[in-house]
Amino acid sequence: MPRDQTRTIRLILNGQKRTLRVDPADTLLEALRAASYTSVKYGCGTGDCGACTVLIDGEPTHSCQIRAVEVDGHEVFTVEGLAPFPARRLDDLHPIQSAFAETGAIQCGYCTPAQILTAKALLHRNPDPTRDEIRSALSGVLCRCTGYVKIIQAVERAAALLRDEGVCPFRHAAATLPGDQSLADLLAERNLIAGDWREPRTPLVISPPAMARLVVVGESESKVDGIKLAAGTPAFTDDVRMEGMLYGALLTSPHAHARIRSIDAREAAALEGVHAVLTHEDIPRVKYASGGQSFPQPPPYDQVCLDDKVRHVGDRVAVVAAASPRLARRALRLIEVDYEVLPHVLDAEEARGSDPPVIHDEQDTEGIYDASRNTVHRIEAAEGDRQEQWRRADHIFEREYRTSQQQHAHIEPHACITYWDEDGRLVVRTSTQVPFHIRRMLAPLLGLSEKEIRVIKPRIGGGFGNKQEMILEDLCAHLTIATGRPVRMMYTRHEEFTSSRSRHPTVQRYRVGVTNDMEVVATELDLLGDTGAYGTHGLTVNMVAGQKGLTLYNSPYSAFRCDVVYTNKPTAGAFRGYGAMQTHFGIETLMSEIASEMGWDVVEFKRRNWIKDGELLVMATALGEGREGFEQRIRSNGLAECVRVGLEATQWYEKRRKLNHASAVNATDGCIEPLRRGIGMSLMAHGSGIAGLDMAAATIRMNDDGSFVLLVGAADLGTGSDTILAQIAAEELGVAVDDILVHSSDTDFTPFDKGAYASSTTYVSGNAVRKAAIKAAARIRKHGAAMLGVELRGSRDAGERDGTRQEEVGDVPTTGLEDIELHGGSVRFPDGRRVTLEQIALSSLHQQNQHQIVASASHLSYDSPPPFGAQFVEVAVDTETGQVTVERVLMTVDAGRVINPITASGQVEGGIAQGLGFALCEEMVYDVDGRLLNPRLGPYHVYKADEMPDIDVIFVQTDEPTGPYGAKSVAELPIDGVAPAIADAIHDATGIWLREVPFTPERVWRALRART
Amino acid sequence: MSEREAGEPWAFHPDASLQSVLDAPDCPALLRSALTGVYSYQLRTQTTVSRTLRAFQLMPQWIAALLALGASVGLEQEDGVREVPLDRLGRLTSNGDIAALYIPLPDSACRWGEAHVARTPSDEPIVAAFAWVKLRGRLVQAARVALTGVWPEGVRLATSEHALVGEPLTVEQIRALAGRIQDRVEPVGDYRGSEEYRRAMAGAMSRRALKACMEPGGSDA
Repeated sequence: MPRDQTRTIRLILNGQKRTLRVDPADTLLEALRAASYTSVKYGCGTGDCGACTVLIDGEPTHSCQIRAVEVDGHEVFTVEGLAPFPARRLDDLHPIQSAFAETGAIQCGYCTPAQILTAKALLHRNPDPTRDEIRSALSGVLCRCTGYVKIIQAVERAAALLRDEGVCPFRHAAATLPGDQSLADLLAERNLIAGDWREPRTPLVISPPAMARLVVVGESESKVDGIKLAAGTPAFTDDVRMEGMLYGALLTSPHAHARIRSIDAREAAALEGVHAVLTHEDIPRVKYASGGQSFPQPPPYDQVCLDDKVRHVGDRVAVVAAASPRLARRALRLIEVDYEVLPHVLDAEEARGSDPPVIHDEQDTEGIYDASRNTVHRIEAAEGDRQEQWRRADHIFEREYRTSQQQHAHIEPHACITYWDEDGRLVVRTSTQVPFHIRRMLAPLLGLSEKEIRVIKPRIGGGFGNKQEMILEDLCAHLTIATGRPVRMMYTRHEEFTSSRSRHPTVQRYRVGVTNDMEVVATELDLLGDTGAYGTHGLTVNMVAGQKGLTLYNSPYSAFRCDVVYTNKPTAGAFRGYGAMQTHFGIETLMSEIASEMGWDVVEFKRRNWIKDGELLVMATALGEGREGFEQRIRSNGLAECVRVGLEATQWYEKRRKLNHASAVNATDGCIEPLRRGIGMSLMAHGSGIAGLDMAAATIRMNDDGSFVLLVGAADLGTGSDTILAQIAAEELGVAVDDILVHSSDTDFTPFDKGAYASSTTYVSGNAVRKAAIKAAARIRKHGAAMLGVELRGSRDAGERDGTRQEEVGDVPTTGLEDIELHGGSVRFPDGRRVTLEQIALSSLHQQNQHQIVASASHLSYDSPPPFGAQFVEVAVDTETGQVTVERVLMTVDAGRVINPITASGQVEGGIAQGLGFALCEEMVYDVDGRLLNPRLGPYHVYKADEMPDIDVIFVQTDEPTGPYGAKSVAELPIDGVAPAIADAIHDATGIWLREVPFTPERVWRALRART
Repeated sequence: MSEREAGEPWAFHPDASLQSVLDAPDCPALLRSALTGVYSYQLRTQTTVSRTLRAFQLMPQWIAALLALGASVGLEQEDGVREVPLDRLGRLTSNGDIAALYIPLPDSACRWGEAHVARTPSDEPIVAAFAWVKLRGRLVQAARVALTGVWPEGVRLATSEHALVGEPLTVEQIRALAGRIQDRVEPVGDYRGSEEYRRAMAGAMSRRALKACMEPGGSDA
């Protein structure tokens, strides 16, 4: 038996004397989590992300960076010490916590405890900090969701609360246009006019006069999970421990391309405490694709759980289950693998060139377009009269644009726990965006039927598409099957970079024909998409890239040709923007280039050509997602208003005049000052779910007290979707949001939902919730009428009012029901009588015509209405160094009716932050052997709180007739336009066009030097 | 920080945190600049002075600022504490335990400047320059320039600062010196900046940092 090396440390933990038994090698993070202080999160293990922050003697410290033994005799404070457990109401929380919950500073909530503790330390030192001091203090905790805007506002609010100053309710500003005031007056009143924008503001929501105000929908409700996340309650996958749980670890390939001749795992398996070592020899070879998509998943099925070949550095080799994480890692080091190293290819052009190394030479993968040239898909589509439209073109522009491989960098890594339940069914608790797809995909890999598997999605610490993949679930489950024990697996940050997914790098060759009177008549896009080692989302991402990249300007002739190729790099997958972001960079930059070259006003040029209300999306039928799409027509389009508002708020024309190629003279030495400023803009359109494919369902059940349980399969990955779905239900049922208890998602108990992707939740799942709520409301009205002896008349179906088809409502007699109001927790009859929902619930469950008031509904749409947006960016370019600093981003958004302006603006701000990274710094870079050079959050660089530009968000509401209450999506749109807007601004400042992201200082410097 | 007499350098205990350096009421602005932005509150709190001195590459901007200020280190020797200039610390084969960090007190004749280039405002600089100049009247009495990102070891004091001593601090002098620094650096390229780019930035950043010393604002006075 190994000698017990643990030792006891004594400390003051959250104000209480505690002793902990720790291993000398344990970090403080490990020791605290082992002692159930699970608010302290693992995010990187290298001190880059700050999610593990605790206070030691009052000062914020990365607990992953110090040993537990070092805090012996010290005071340690975690978020668990701030509020009593359980925190149930805002009043239960510390003012900093409540400020975070109230202001929308919490999205996924994974970094929230660290942010709160850092704020606590700051406010203890400095009760009245400036905004810059707050930004600086928070810079040690990365947030990938929010863009930090509301976190900073939360700290300001908390500071005021702690100083006993009064604070106003935190909500958006609303205005109607045209209305009593002009746009200019409105923007000035809100300090949104350029030059006056140093103070942060809540989002502005502009509505058309005809848009009626609703009760709950459209209000800035606090997130339904905000309190528990602020309190640091164990809510995430890895926050539970099970009796006998083992810890899995993954051995990955050190080679970019190699065949495994043999694996000797005997020494690892013999290690005491190691319960299983699995290699390709132990797991049946079942082909699959890891992308979490609807059935049938797009081909090819080019993966197996463990293979005898590795195709990138970081590819799966073997997996171990052991009694501790440390032991599992030790066992990995004892596995001897004999590799036959093969030639590899990292460049997508070379991969499809002559005689490349063949990455998928296996015989059992079907559906690869040309395996000998690593071309997994060739996509071709065209609409319109090619000859005629090119003949009309007076000018033809051809440009090439390149985008990089960006990593999602969600702060919570992939995590999974699998175990057998008491019925012998496999339970998978996992950080996933697609619980139902995971269940379906897992079954054949494990040799189980779907009914033998239950997938539970706890809170998710961000995903952005990377958790629309089966990354760990199959391996973790195989270990549970092999050992019979609960097994937990969690990626390290390094593994997130090398062994999860990323954004597809692209090479885009656009050819655009325009007439002398500014009409775009023909657009061709030749796209090369790099899917890395496996196909997974390769087909769909690149189809969407083509569809979105040819939709915004909807040329009469549009053509798309695309090769998706394998390379020996880590696999690309789903990532917010999903191909659209890449081609928005290309098309938007090209449109700006054309305007510049032709001497046209860029806004007018785009205005003439952008897709208009009532128009068909030219490429929507030819390019669906992985299959043919459906004819789609624009039914709501606020683009013109978005641009009008944005131009006014930025004083666009004045600035273009003032800043264009401006240079100043340094008074000291007469040298030309190298800093130049510019302003740029871009437009964007996305989608709302996948037309004709995405389906969601919802169930609403009434409780004894008149509250409701809302069961949805939709996966809130931090976006606030649980909250907006609750708002939709509450609006229809006439109750407050806190009377809606949302459960999402558990494949045993919640109805099917395709999952959280494709900007679908508000639109698709929201429609399902609304339909279910309408049905439930009808049943409540009916029961209330029966209780009061009210005779119902006629046969009109209440559901018809809101587009629900007759057969979906079933046998509910709703005649006259529309005269009965549900409001304020009561059913109100035209004669003035009322019955409370609690009375109806008690009656229906216990007294009269006893039945459970419950309703379910599904929704699928053949529309995917695009939200629209315009982004305006102001930059400073250091022409001597090439450094680009973004100083302001203003985004105007048409997301239809905005269900919750605070959560929606949080999506916009977070999307902009990720877009800034894409544009300026984020790029996975490899050495010649295919090893990633920057697999850490620091060197890779995710934007921090103290370097964010000022961000303003203005919603320009439209009424989308197919959306719930007129809503469209908002989650992906904001990321699409940042890079081209910055490219336009850089050109405005310097006269150069950059056609490859990120715009690193050296790339800008070289472009400037090339010009001179 | 220990109590100090007028004119004495600051002395920091090796276990002092960098946050405590920053918190010192009269922390020189050059150090404030080096310790904020790139380095977070957490990093400053959990990092001791001695840790940074044992591994210069851990926090190169801080080290560069110390080098520019002419900091020295007290090393425990058998016969007591020996003071060694910081730029010699890395070259000592047997340097003993660090007993203290000494930072000379800038006076009103001292000017400083910092310049850097990075992908984003708070990213680790690709190249950074920290300059310190002491003037007597119009003439330079002493000057130091330290650079990060242009040496194999990450951070180093540029050796050409003597060229300014006894000369007036002019744009022409600065340009000439920056050019010589640019010629002398030994950058190693990586994905954030090639060798060519880093060399060019060494000159540009040195020039900017030194030019900042011409400004009244570039002073703790």
